[in-house]
Amino acid sequence: MTPDHLVALLCPPLHNPRRRRGGNMAPEKSATVPQFLRGAELVKQGAEARVYRTQFLGRPTIVKERFSKRYRHVALDEKLTRRRTVQEVRSILRCRRAGIPAPAVYFVDYTSHCIFLEEILRSSTVRDHIASTQQSASCTVQELDRDQDRELVQEQELEQLAQQVGQILAKMHDEDVIHGDLTTSNMLLRRSPEDRGSDLVLIDFGLSYISALPEDKGVDLYVLEKAFLSTHPHTEALFQKLLKSYSASSKKSSAVLKKLDEVRLRGRKRSMVG
Amino acid sequence: MNLTQELELFPDHTVTQMLFKEVKNAAELRQSAVDGRINGALINPTMLVNPFQVLVAANKAVHLQLIGKMKTRSLNSEIIFNLSPTNNISEAFKRFGTSDGDESVMLVVVHCKNESQLLEDIAAQVDGRQVPVEDDFEKSYSISLEETCGTLLDAVVCRMAIKDVM
Repeated sequence: MTPDHLVALLCPPLHNPRRRRGGNMAPEKSATVPQFLRGAELVKQGAEARVYRTQFLGRPTIVKERFSKRYRHVALDEKLTRRRTVQEVRSILRCRRAGIPAPAVYFVDYTSHCIFLEEILRSSTVRDHIASTQQSASCTVQELDRDQDRELVQEQELEQLAQQVGQILAKMHDEDVIHGDLTTSNMLLRRSPEDRGSDLVLIDFGLSYISALPEDKGVDLYVLEKAFLSTHPHTEALFQKLLKSYSASSKKSSAVLKKLDEVRLRGRKRSMVG
Repeated sequence: MNLTQELELFPDHTVTQMLFKEVKNAAELRQSAVDGRINGALINPTMLVNPFQVLVAANKAVHLQLIGKMKTRSLNSEIIFNLSPTNNISEAFKRFGTSDGDESVMLVVVHCKNESQLLEDIAAQVDGRQVPVEDDFEKSYSISLEETCGTLLDAVVCRMAIKDVM
């Protein structure tokens, strides 16, 4: 995939040839969304975007607003930001079409680079789930047997979770969607209403793109591995279970896992002995 | 009877949905719409899953009108076009717009806050019985596996929102 900044240089800005058939010739940018967001609750501020919570058309909605980077050249910034928004939205739809849970998109404003998404209610991040499961598994002053039982149950629960994650990632990669920012904070566990267990929902497709290359998929998994192991200590075995589940669920997994091994050997501070 | 929602992003715009059954003058209404004599969008309700779907379409239409980027010629036709999952305008009108023999009609009007007289006048043009707008429209949408990862409505609405870059 051509790096973003090169794309902007290779494709000189053309005068917009699109015919304006509709309505009035109003100014290009709509100021209504930023204004609306002033009344919304800011949930998170990242390097690329701000995330808000609000009500939209009667539904709880998340609004993701990509802001401009002043240090960039204006035309390049506009192109880049728009491209990222489009990629994000395309990846979400592509996932959903394949049955991979991701938030529904309600509205996209390409002038202010805002995406209005379904808010996933009754959910917690996989990160929080693993952390709290591990915390309650640590021994307190109680009978040894009970603790061992509890640990076993929690271990099984985490293994099942790892299996679910492996399956869902396999499905996603089989659709040639690269998430780009796989971390346990970007996976939600949604409790079903009748409490029939929970299902996984992937979020934050901000760095995602379409690619069939095993290399890209391998890197995607590598990013998750680094994030996983650094966030959750002593989970090497759990991650292996995840990879096993991935391998069993994906038709193209062997090439991807091979690339993963290669990518692991690259990294920083790696020996250059071939 | 009517279902009304103010558009949060466009505070001067309110969307009202009115559903009619046993409609006898569908052909006449359709002609009025084509001629621009009726100030509302005439939609085939058998293609609708939920009123939220209409709101999403109307919201997008108003947004595009305000920035001068509508794909069709009027706000009302834009609402109908937005309901369709495809980018083909005539197909959208055929499937989602009112057709001559239709027995039920969904009338959608975008207006300023308190315009009950306007709504009454427009509704009077329909020769049919008005019924309350509810959540259980007939489902005639073709969606794939998406149904399993959310509700049918979410699948429909998501498609509507993203189709112009797919």
